[in-house]
Amino acid sequence: MNKTRGQRITLNTAGVLVALVFAFPTYWLLTSAFKPSTAMLTPDYDLIPLSVTFDNFVSAWAKPGFLTHLTNSLIVTVGAVLLSLVAGVLAAFPLARLRFRGRKGFLLLVLIAQMAPMEALFIPMFLLMQDAGLLNKLPSLLLVYFAITLPFTVWTLRGFVQGIPYELEEAAMVDGCGRFGAFRRVVLPLLGPGIVATSVFAFITAWNEFLYALVFMRDKDKQTLPVWLSTFRTVFGTDWGGIMAASVMYSLPALIFFLIVQRKLVSGATAGALKG
Amino acid sequence: MKRLTKVMAGAAAIALATAGCAGSGGGGSEESSGGPRTLTVWLMNGSAPETLTDALNKEFEGANEGVTVKYEVQEWNGIQDKLTTALASQNPPDIIELGNTQAPSFAALDVLTDLTADVDSMNGGQWLQSLKASGEWDGKQFSTPFYAANRSVIYRTDMFEQAGIAAAPTSRQEWLDAITKLRAKFGSDPQFQALYLPGQNWYTLLSFIYDEGGDIAEANGTEFKATMSSPEAKAGLEFYKELVEASGTTAPKDNDEQNPEQAGIYGQGKVAMMIALPWELGTAAKDNPDIEKNSSAFPIPSKNAGETAPVFQGGSNLAIPVNSKNTDLAKDYLRLLLSDKYQTQFAEAGMVPGASTDLSALDANPVSKAMAAASKNGRSVPATPTWATIEAGQNPLKDMLTAYLTGVKDIDTATTDADTALDAAFTG
Amino acid sequence: MATIHNTIRTDTVPAGTSPPAPARASGRKRAGLGEKTIPYLLLAPAVLVMLVLLAWPALQVIGISFRKLDLGELVRGEVVWVGVTNYTEVLSDPEFWTITLRTVLFTAAVVAGTVVAGLLIAVLMRHLTGPVKVFVQVTLVLAWATPILATTTVFQWIFDQQYGILNKTLVKLGFDSFQGYSWFSSGTSTLTVIGMLILWQAVPFVCFTIYAGLLQAPKELYEAAAMDGASAWQTFSTVSWPTIRPLVTLATFLSVIWDFKVFAQVWAIRGGGPDGESTTLPVLLYLRGIAGRHFGVASAVAVLMILVLVVLTARYLQLLLRTREGDVS
Repeated sequence: MNKTRGQRITLNTAGVLVALVFAFPTYWLLTSAFKPSTAMLTPDYDLIPLSVTFDNFVSAWAKPGFLTHLTNSLIVTVGAVLLSLVAGVLAAFPLARLRFRGRKGFLLLVLIAQMAPMEALFIPMFLLMQDAGLLNKLPSLLLVYFAITLPFTVWTLRGFVQGIPYELEEAAMVDGCGRFGAFRRVVLPLLGPGIVATSVFAFITAWNEFLYALVFMRDKDKQTLPVWLSTFRTVFGTDWGGIMAASVMYSLPALIFFLIVQRKLVSGATAGALKG
Repeated sequence: MKRLTKVMAGAAAIALATAGCAGSGGGGSEESSGGPRTLTVWLMNGSAPETLTDALNKEFEGANEGVTVKYEVQEWNGIQDKLTTALASQNPPDIIELGNTQAPSFAALDVLTDLTADVDSMNGGQWLQSLKASGEWDGKQFSTPFYAANRSVIYRTDMFEQAGIAAAPTSRQEWLDAITKLRAKFGSDPQFQALYLPGQNWYTLLSFIYDEGGDIAEANGTEFKATMSSPEAKAGLEFYKELVEASGTTAPKDNDEQNPEQAGIYGQGKVAMMIALPWELGTAAKDNPDIEKNSSAFPIPSKNAGETAPVFQGGSNLAIPVNSKNTDLAKDYLRLLLSDKYQTQFAEAGMVPGASTDLSALDANPVSKAMAAASKNGRSVPATPTWATIEAGQNPLKDMLTAYLTGVKDIDTATTDADTALDAAFTG
Repeated sequence: MATIHNTIRTDTVPAGTSPPAPARASGRKRAGLGEKTIPYLLLAPAVLVMLVLLAWPALQVIGISFRKLDLGELVRGEVVWVGVTNYTEVLSDPEFWTITLRTVLFTAAVVAGTVVAGLLIAVLMRHLTGPVKVFVQVTLVLAWATPILATTTVFQWIFDQQYGILNKTLVKLGFDSFQGYSWFSSGTSTLTVIGMLILWQAVPFVCFTIYAGLLQAPKELYEAAAMDGASAWQTFSTVSWPTIRPLVTLATFLSVIWDFKVFAQVWAIRGGGPDGESTTLPVLLYLRGIAGRHFGVASAVAVLMILVLVVLTARYLQLLLRTREGDVS
């Protein structure tokens, strides 16, 4: 597995190139956030920003409600991710390792559940929440995001469990662990990276959702960040500089969430190596 | 789990109630007067100045004991979906603001309270004609005017002066002459544009078509037939093309004035004119205050010297959802909002008031003065419920403009195709 | 290489297969009454949530697709059955099949691009170390986490005809024909830009999923492969691939579903234009249904979309249902 110096340099160069390509739109968003509003599009060559201003961040920060909306977003998003992961891990194990009547029916349910366009579901969903008395309450969003992210979470985690060689569990069972003991001690630690990847995805899906957040929450102080982001548009036009600055502020929590969980990506692998 | 149980119960309830999904049921019943009541008012972000609404709500609450006004500012993104669900919900807002081109699509569906009997008591004599028409359906009035605005030509006084243009153009010919002079003076700068005019500014196109005596469609009762291939409409389209070519604008032919935002481009100081709403100058001047000092405006000139061209009037209407539980209270609120006292404040804020003919406050600023001058000649799109779909979807007028300006289609094909697409949309 | 083949099962794929044979033997032997109910208990929360919050609204959508449900009916709570009128209206539109075909091709192109790029970057990421690795990961996460409203706007600015940085750069590099070049003048070109936007946002998920799968493979197997003197390709095909194959299949399947349903980005870039040439099925759903508040028609388009998706993924669903029929009762 040891690579020569030359190989390492080639690989790292490739890595940097990939990162640069992927970073460009983000870079453009970032520089736009620091540009004066009228310089978003100029005839001048501005690959490197020609002037820098913090006005957009000042005006975005001054926009009322950022912290309230941030809190709401965090509650519904983190809540939905946690619920999804718990229900997802519980379901992934029997789906990947056990056989029982109704297994295929369930798999089909999970698959088809993801095919319906959410834009078409919002009216039935709205009426459902209204009849449950949950409109204008954060739990309604939390439940919807739980439901939106669940099929995917179940499906992906099942894939990750399948990827773990069954022999590892068998070995543990031979060593005297029960079936679930083996799952807990062998499979779960190896599942670390999968749980991280899945949770990042679920987090971002819920974090970015706009339509349901808009339609379910009436009161300003119960709305989430995507709705806050849309307040930069008024009768008098759109404050693009403000939107760009606000988007930077908006993406940070997702990035922080990733940086927290990404250590798991590494430690998960190590744990797997130790236990395997 | 408790919440889950509740949701389950809710689901079961719906299942028992109907076969499919039902709304909350029709007919709002009037709440008994007396006792504390809440009037929910939805206005759009940026519509009414905060000072106005604060004073208005305070006065209304003072005059109606036990009433609280729940004033909720709505965002533009997703407003159609939000209105749809809100109108179908158990407690809809009592007053809503509708875009004037959207208003007929609500009026025709019986989801708004009939206000025909209240027009007179709501300052009806002074209503802005184009907005009044947007609120009518089948001879009844379903929404009232709120405020409006129309476009004028915002121009750089300093550039006009340097190019030796003595006065603002008052006819199409003078307008074209001014463009020629501006280009002669500043044309050496490749970034200079005498007039910024993107290919899909269909509001401006309407102005030219109205000026020729044409319209988008002709009405026959509640039926509409597109008339873009009429000689008048074609003449309007020809002038649009003439203007684009004469001005040497580098604006995209396949996009509108918002993409890219024309105010930002005007703000960079290389553009002598743009056809815009008054506040776009404020956007342009955000980072360049000098531009505001050096700018003024004139109404879109007519082909008849000395006249101003009719203009498309954009704006908003106000309505009371049919399921409102406070219909009478909501009508009182509308009466107050449409009274001279508050309507004047709209003029002061730079809008054309929907229910006042007193536009003197707009004269304070040269740009809003130009808007006011043209506003008497304001028109709107055909008052058909299907227009909302046309505007929210793929507007055939935009496709027609791009196809003709880029030379993909000749004028006959472009206008006939537009007629076909519009007629298909009108029949819904 | 022999050692590897002995220690690892290579038939964990496709993702739809039922559990490995050993599970059956040991599972059945010990199966008591308690153990039989355990799968159901474990599945119960997921089943409950999906039935109430996804399956039930989805069933209603099917119901609505046979009704006239405009704003008026919705507000008054009327139920007006119209049979298959909504379907005939949608299907009689000659454009429908063009749009369907366009959507399928567009989805296929974007999914292929996403999966290939995601796989390559994941493999690359495994071999990176230190700051470069963190740099790659952070850029991927940012591409993913930025709000759609901002990314679609930024893409429009980058590709702007007059002032876009792309055209300005190309002109600087000497390609003068890109002065004022419109990237949105044809449907194909517009869809290409939209495809890049979606790809940019979709690759991170595929990449992280596959990368996580790569990390899952126990290190000993790589070491064993190295001791056997396996080449990089051999190591990949015998150690990495078996672990990630179910994940690649799964990522492809999920990408098909998601990319097929993308609306916001397609709509934001050019509203399905020019002249309707970048209109996809979700845009059609919006134009015919949501924009005019004809929710019956919108539901009919939604049901048709699900049917097309089922056809597209039929092979995958078939594998899922057919494999080891005897084992799964």
